[in-house]
Amino acid sequence: MRAHGSVTEPPAAHSADHLCWVHDDDEPFGDAVRAFLAGGLVRGERLLCVGDRAIAALEDPSGSLGDVAALLAGGALETMTVAEVSAAAGALGADPQRAFYDAATRRALDDGYRGLRVVAEVTELAADPGLIEELVRWEHAADEFIASGSGMSAMCAYRGDLPPATLGAVLAVHPLRHGPDQLSPFRLFFDDDRLVLTGSVDTFSADRLATLLAGTPAGNTALLDLSGLEFIDVAGCRALAGWAGELQARCVPLEVRGASPLLQRVWHILGLHDVAPVTFTDPRG
Amino acid sequence: MTPPAAFATAPAGFEHEALFYRDDETFLAGVLPFVRDGLTRGEQVVVAEPPGRLELLRDAVGAAAPVRWLDMAALGGNPARIIGAWRTVLDETTAAGRGLRGVGEPAWPGRRDAEYAECRLHELLLNTAFDDGPAWRLLCPYDQTHLPRAVRTGALQSHPLVSTHEHRRPSTAFSRESAAATFATPLHQPSEGVLRGIYGAGDARATRRTVVTFARSCGLSAEQAQALELAASELVANSVRHGGGSGTVAMWRTDEAAIVEFSDGGHISDPLVGRRVPPPEQVSGRGLHLVNELCDLVQLRSCPRGTTVRITTWR
Repeated sequence: MRAHGSVTEPPAAHSADHLCWVHDDDEPFGDAVRAFLAGGLVRGERLLCVGDRAIAALEDPSGSLGDVAALLAGGALETMTVAEVSAAAGALGADPQRAFYDAATRRALDDGYRGLRVVAEVTELAADPGLIEELVRWEHAADEFIASGSGMSAMCAYRGDLPPATLGAVLAVHPLRHGPDQLSPFRLFFDDDRLVLTGSVDTFSADRLATLLAGTPAGNTALLDLSGLEFIDVAGCRALAGWAGELQARCVPLEVRGASPLLQRVWHILGLHDVAPVTFTDPRG
Repeated sequence: MTPPAAFATAPAGFEHEALFYRDDETFLAGVLPFVRDGLTRGEQVVVAEPPGRLELLRDAVGAAAPVRWLDMAALGGNPARIIGAWRTVLDETTAAGRGLRGVGEPAWPGRRDAEYAECRLHELLLNTAFDDGPAWRLLCPYDQTHLPRAVRTGALQSHPLVSTHEHRRPSTAFSRESAAATFATPLHQPSEGVLRGIYGAGDARATRRTVVTFARSCGLSAEQAQALELAASELVANSVRHGGGSGTVAMWRTDEAAIVEFSDGGHISDPLVGRRVPPPEQVSGRGLHLVNELCDLVQLRSCPRGTTVRITTWR
């Protein structure tokens, strides 16, 4: 399975890393940015630094990234401000952002790199109440793009003084997280062909789950893995059933893998099979 | 004197009758004609009895008879589940243009006091649930030899009609007001040591965990603990959303059960909440229904001073 869970420092670099980093002090944040990027250098990936705070972390007297100027000059490292990415992508939306990072990743692969490793400090987007919903949609879509074997990895950084609900929303859509765990009781991320839901969903977080599911990119089939789900209540089940109904309207069948016997019993008691048909399968598929 | 139940004419509304029997013979003498008369009339006959009585009656009626047999020990373990089951059957038979007659014995000998209390409330609420609906008949056998006196007296108060295999008459002790009054009467306080905690909007997860820890400490199975965790989640959410924003959880154990109780300052005016299956599109009212379906025994009481949901899990 893809690397996931709560971390205190950037884990060893793998393909398809997607790490949410909530930070307060500049110094440890700088260390984390450099550690994440250094892992990409070792793997032979091109590095892309987005956002002023991420770019500032490159100025490192200890030289842990080697000769930054040479990396920049040679094209192994690129930097862009958030405004520059927005201008290049055209808009903050899941589709234009995906197109932008898709092109950047292909360029890196064409140039002989093993992939593209991005650090994006996007607090300024998250702080804008008019943008946060679209940003979370994009983060969720980005996770699907990263998990799909595109060659991209990313560390998405947010300042810890953002509103708790904002931090909870962005933390929830990353498989790897560094931040207050209680802000995101559940996590929704992709792994190969599966959408994975872990943690706890109750009536106070079910609306957020429903919104995320509604924005989930889906192909001709959908597979939701609940093997790592600790708890879900009625409102959470209804969020899942609502999504199953939306998928059914698009003729996409939903397979739910690894649901607990209790969840399946609740599903039956609530009559959710009548809302949308779902196929329950065991954890091994 | 009116004739026994089986020979009465078709009812004008819901006919709810307690049948007192002394032994197998008088049980069959009271129930068999009722069942056979229903079959003769082409009605859907549904029998919900605990296993021993179910077999006795099935042998007498004949396995080939088109009767639906339900295990009351499973269905009515928590009596708050029974009205929903009758409602479903009634809706089906009404939709099919057929009459319905049921036999239901929720208060069989050997049940605990808390279960008998819920059987009594259930019997009272049957009248509330079905009095204004389609006509059908429900015969509720009571074992007058083995049941405690209070249970027998309760049956007289909760059924408009009482009978034996020989006689049938209106119950003078029956009162339509008893259902609401019983629903509004607080439960007996426990004599055991009680663990108590207060929860608010941000405490759903912590309360779930507290309940699970307590459940495990009482030796409950993983499945029982998970059901209680889910119940805690739904009831804390109810308190936060509808019960004034906060509530109290109380937990205690007896030799035979682990008990978890949720109380808040809200008032539930509809005593049938949680006893009817909410339609799929309805969002509210699902939590209590689910708790009733999942848990061993659920006791809901509410008055303008507050609401209490007591969940008993047998160890």
